[in-house]
Amino acid sequence: MGLVEFAAAKTLASSAVFLFITVLLIAAATRTSTCIVLFAAQCAVITMQVVAMAYLHRSGEALVVAAMVLLVKVLAIPYALLRIRNRLNVPADISASTTAAQSVYIAAALILLAFAVVQPYARAFALDSEMLAVATALVLTGAFLMVSRKKALMQVIGLLVLENGIFLAALTTTFGMPLVIEMGIFFDLLMCVLLMGVFVFRIRDTFEHVDVSRLRRLRG
Amino acid sequence: MTLWFPLLLPLLGAFLVLGFKNPRAAVRVALGIGIAEVLLLGNCAWKLRSAGVLQQGRYLRADGLTLFFLINLGLIFAVVLAYSVGYLRHIPKGRFSSPRWFYALVFLFLFTMVAAYLSANLGMLWIAIEATTLASALLVGFYNTKGAVEAGWKYLIVCTVGIAFALFGTIAFYLAAVRGGVPAEMALDWATLMTAAPGMTAARELLKLAFVFAAVGYGTKIGLVPMHSWLPDAHAEAPAPISALLSAVLLNCAMYALLRLDAITSHAIGGNFSHTLLLSFGGLSLLASAFLMIVQRDLKRLLAYSSIEHMGIVALGVGLGGPLGLFGALLHAFNHSLAKTLLFFTTGSVRETFGTLRMDRIRGMGRALPSTSAVLVVGGLAVAGLPPFGLFVSEFAILMSAFTQSHYLLALLMLAAISIAFGALLYHFQRMLSGEPPGSPASANRPRPLAFEIAAVSICGVCLLILGLHVPAVFISVLHGAMAVLQ
Repeated sequence: MGLVEFAAAKTLASSAVFLFITVLLIAAATRTSTCIVLFAAQCAVITMQVVAMAYLHRSGEALVVAAMVLLVKVLAIPYALLRIRNRLNVPADISASTTAAQSVYIAAALILLAFAVVQPYARAFALDSEMLAVATALVLTGAFLMVSRKKALMQVIGLLVLENGIFLAALTTTFGMPLVIEMGIFFDLLMCVLLMGVFVFRIRDTFEHVDVSRLRRLRG
Repeated sequence: MTLWFPLLLPLLGAFLVLGFKNPRAAVRVALGIGIAEVLLLGNCAWKLRSAGVLQQGRYLRADGLTLFFLINLGLIFAVVLAYSVGYLRHIPKGRFSSPRWFYALVFLFLFTMVAAYLSANLGMLWIAIEATTLASALLVGFYNTKGAVEAGWKYLIVCTVGIAFALFGTIAFYLAAVRGGVPAEMALDWATLMTAAPGMTAARELLKLAFVFAAVGYGTKIGLVPMHSWLPDAHAEAPAPISALLSAVLLNCAMYALLRLDAITSHAIGGNFSHTLLLSFGGLSLLASAFLMIVQRDLKRLLAYSSIEHMGIVALGVGLGGPLGLFGALLHAFNHSLAKTLLFFTTGSVRETFGTLRMDRIRGMGRALPSTSAVLVVGGLAVAGLPPFGLFVSEFAILMSAFTQSHYLLALLMLAAISIAFGALLYHFQRMLSGEPPGSPASANRPRPLAFEIAAVSICGVCLLILGLHVPAVFISVLHGAMAVLQ
């Protein structure tokens, strides 16, 4: 086994651990900008993973996907989010409804839950149960971040973490979707983040705050 | 080229309209593009009817089911376009609330819906449906008031998360197909999946999982209870023509996606599982929305809950299946889009005259707005499912299907919910229509309805009446073509 293959295999084997660490850190973070940087780090781990897979499977398409993850998720989206955050001029804290410690415990519990639920599917389809568990854990913690964080931007980050989970699920189960579809999904994701940025500014301008838990005019 | 032109024209049109700063010129250009688009859709439908199936390139494909939904889309879009010309006078001036922005966003919205109908591929279908949310979110928040911004945000977040689940479902379908021996690059084409479905029985559990995720995901867009929370807000806060488009076209568009996946799932593992799921979602939506209609205070929210009710009926029809159930479901989706368009059109002039859509503050509408009131009554009777309107025929077909399959409990539930909804509509409408109009009779300075608006309203009304009295043979053959694709 050559050195590069060895490195690629090691990257694949250890990326699950790194992803779990980013999830726990995002749950623990108390500032929006930290969360954005951690999200970028999470996507960087995913990029490494796609590159390693591309090398092991000798797939050019996967390299293109890796380049898109790098451009869109590691660079463009965090950059846009950081800019929005700086221009918003609102307090930096995330105003969570749970404390940092509670969030970490909940995220850890969700990771354990993810491991438990994926076992039967991993066995039935002979898939890597660790990666499947990471994907499920990302989906669950993304959803948890969306319901527990009150800042509009944090909801966007929760959504992005959730989407990362779905991307990983596609990657581990089917070695990615066809390239054209992946490109369309990335385009949609980018547009979605930009549009959410537009709405965050509109929320600030019409309500003079960005606390979405206080948006409750429409009921029933 | 038959399929490419109606797909690309709205996209080009959106950018073209943006170039016209003069509001009058923008409206004229938009009308021109809109008429051309309706003609192209008509041409597409015509060719499709004689050819049966059209495939262009790897990513565009249309068949009988597409034909049916394209007719629906073209008809409603034409009517909404005609109505919007007069409606734009209601929109206050603002940076992004000029006619050119309105029509540019409407054309983008139309582009995404046509793309959803014409895509040959479940992945493309997903991308297009996600794009419908993005294109219409700004239209929902078009008024830029507190309510509109909140509704737009909620719509964006709830539907994006919901649709993310549908992506997971799509991936699971892909996995099942690849494991079933379909070559990877074909494994998302729905035509391929339909023929390969019987070979995917081995992946039974996976397909069930896939369909649950798809039903939750696309069900969010359809507005099925309990994923409906965005729908009343978005419908209530959007401008009236957009509410009509959301309710009459977008919900059907998401239903189309679910119909395709339901057909694939039932071909692979039998219809039992997916149909039971649809029956439970449909029944829950029907019951919950009927009760919620009683307590509504805003006219447009009332209409939005009525949309949830009718999508629940459509889901019931699909879930019952069989020729009669499916026939009723498709016909009901079509009828509902006509009736709901009619009703949302009245809200524009109600808001203009009374300055509010709060039903407890609207009195004496019968005297203040006689013609609008007449339209409201006709639309109300139609959505309540009374003869001689089309919704009676389709609801009757679905009920018949429930009785012949001995789903007595379900049929009773449906009858009860329809009666409750009828009572709620009757209660709210009679309180609005009767009594003395508040303030001085301001009928003198009321703007007269434009010929465009009259045409839009009468097209909907006449179509509803025709579908209620005697469904034309041509339309029945289109419906049978659509059903043949699914069975």
